[in-house]
Amino acid sequence: MTGKEILLKALRNEPTPRVPWVPFVGVHGGSLAGFDAKDYLESAERIVAGLKIAAERYKPDGFPVVFDLQLEAEILGCQLTWAKETPPAVTSHPLGPDYAIEALPEFSVDKGRMPLALEAVRQIKRDLGEEVALYGLLTGPLTLALHLRGDDVLLDMFDEEDGVEKLFDYCAGIANQMVDAYLEAGIDVIAVVDPMISQIGPDHFTDSVAPHLNDIFAHIRDKGALSSLFVCGNATRNLEAMCSTVCDNISVDENVDLAALAKVARASGKSFGGNLQLTKVLLLGDTNDTKREVVRCLDQAGEGTGFVLAPGCDLPYAVKPENLEAVAELARDPYQIEVARKLPPKDSNDAFDDFSIPTYSAEPAVIVDVVTLDSAGCAPCAYMLAAAKKAASEYGLPIDVREHKITCRDGLAYMAKLGVTAIPSICVDGQEQFASIIPDRKELVARYANAAAAK
Amino acid sequence: MENSLQKLTEAIKTGKRNEARVATQAALDAGIVPESILSALSEGMDDVGCRFKANNIFVPEVLVAARAMKTSMEILGPELVKSGIEPEHTLVIGTVQGDMHDIGKNLVAMMMKGANFKVIDLGTNVPAQTILDAALEHKADLVGLSALLTTTMPAMRETVTLLRTERHPFKVIIGGAPISQEFADEIGADGFATDAASTVELARSLVSSS
Repeated sequence: MTGKEILLKALRNEPTPRVPWVPFVGVHGGSLAGFDAKDYLESAERIVAGLKIAAERYKPDGFPVVFDLQLEAEILGCQLTWAKETPPAVTSHPLGPDYAIEALPEFSVDKGRMPLALEAVRQIKRDLGEEVALYGLLTGPLTLALHLRGDDVLLDMFDEEDGVEKLFDYCAGIANQMVDAYLEAGIDVIAVVDPMISQIGPDHFTDSVAPHLNDIFAHIRDKGALSSLFVCGNATRNLEAMCSTVCDNISVDENVDLAALAKVARASGKSFGGNLQLTKVLLLGDTNDTKREVVRCLDQAGEGTGFVLAPGCDLPYAVKPENLEAVAELARDPYQIEVARKLPPKDSNDAFDDFSIPTYSAEPAVIVDVVTLDSAGCAPCAYMLAAAKKAASEYGLPIDVREHKITCRDGLAYMAKLGVTAIPSICVDGQEQFASIIPDRKELVARYANAAAAK
Repeated sequence: MENSLQKLTEAIKTGKRNEARVATQAALDAGIVPESILSALSEGMDDVGCRFKANNIFVPEVLVAARAMKTSMEILGPELVKSGIEPEHTLVIGTVQGDMHDIGKNLVAMMMKGANFKVIDLGTNVPAQTILDAALEHKADLVGLSALLTTTMPAMRETVTLLRTERHPFKVIIGGAPISQEFADEIGADGFATDAASTVELARSLVSSS
């Protein structure tokens, strides 16, 4: 089963052999390909170049082709201000208090940057479409309405209900044009991104926004595609109402308790995704922070179907690639997840002073420390330990092979003191020699001999 | 007489701007001193802040309450000036350079006005030097900085650094989606708040302690 198939099954809330992984690569693709946000988001070729690097490094099961919630607004006459490391921001709102929607520029997917966005979809579909599910992102009706009318639209919900209703309806119509164009270009999943939903309450959501979202989701379903509702920000109070819409999937950021979403989504028969912390972990943290964060997400998502591992929102431009590679590694390897569970807490200052390791140079025999999860229950660990022992027997001279399981404090002490970078790992006389990859026996015997000669 | 003040507080709580206008005028016509009318207005906004913080109401309800307050202040403001009543404390506020987002900053500005602070709103994408100049010009007690983007957090750090290069009498408070107390401590801000209502509490405590 390809990663894409796994993801599509998960989105349908069907059982999958593993949790699928969807890195929301937006402007970060520009960072990968060496372009600033504007140069990146204004060129199909550059977007494709960034996504190909992301596909290679992050091994996604799916990803968005363009993450820019200003595409529609730009066509409709909003002014954009560009920055080097973020998508553009809307800085003017062309719709006045008279709600003269007919005076706005006519929307067409042939205008603005939509042709290049669709060209990027076609190119990436051709090159990666078999393996990677492609997300087409469009701006949800509330957020697009705010782009057009500014935050006055939130006030108008109280005393200009007719105008607001007309505007939301118009925005949903534009969304459906985006849906048609994206699906025709080869998009697999339509994500309706409506972050402003986190700013309103359940009553406003249910009465004013949900009916228009449902128009879009129903249209996507009629076309035979899958839909996701992306909401950034603290949308906790709206989770139940969001799960009452007819979308297939709900995706949230770190402001929402993933365990709470899991409960509500599963009760509604929907899949759900999230919510790796963008700033604290993926941007500013290290790979171990990231691994702990993946475990946190998996644990909060709990047992059951329909979970999609993803960041909370658009990845920051300068997010550390090694952190996303760490997510990819865990997503595809249950064994690495178990290893990550044994990582000491972030704030741990434990120097393992209660454990001492040998002074290797003073020991008469070469000492081989094999640091494992537990060779009894973990196949790679068992093979690694067996390789070390077989090489020892082939080596023929006195040698001491020891297993240290990180399920015990002894193993954690060796891991810390020897600077072990991956599990399982073979250290020869205190030096890590082989991490994760089981070595060729001859190579290992040679390392033993070298260590003995160095004594 | 009391009735019109109660009506004003209620109009602010529910965001009814026409009722707020009528109640304000009625209170003035009844000879109630402007300071008491202002207190009734602040009571309404405090209630809005509490319910916002408790997740009982949301951004649209706060905006509509602030609009009602503004309507009331259009009538009350000149009377306060005539009576020589001015806000005791001044906040200079803006979104840092490179960041165009203003909803959070606007909410804070509105709530702070409701709490009877004089608010100088510098808008979005404001250079550090402009903020410093405005703070000195307006003799600010507080400077509020907002950032929505992770990428503009460095601009917030640079702004705080500039504000701190010399000893100034104002306190610096920060907020925005990616901001944390940890970050505030790291860059040397005097305070951090998670939402507009908490900002009012923070601001009151900072100005009362200085």
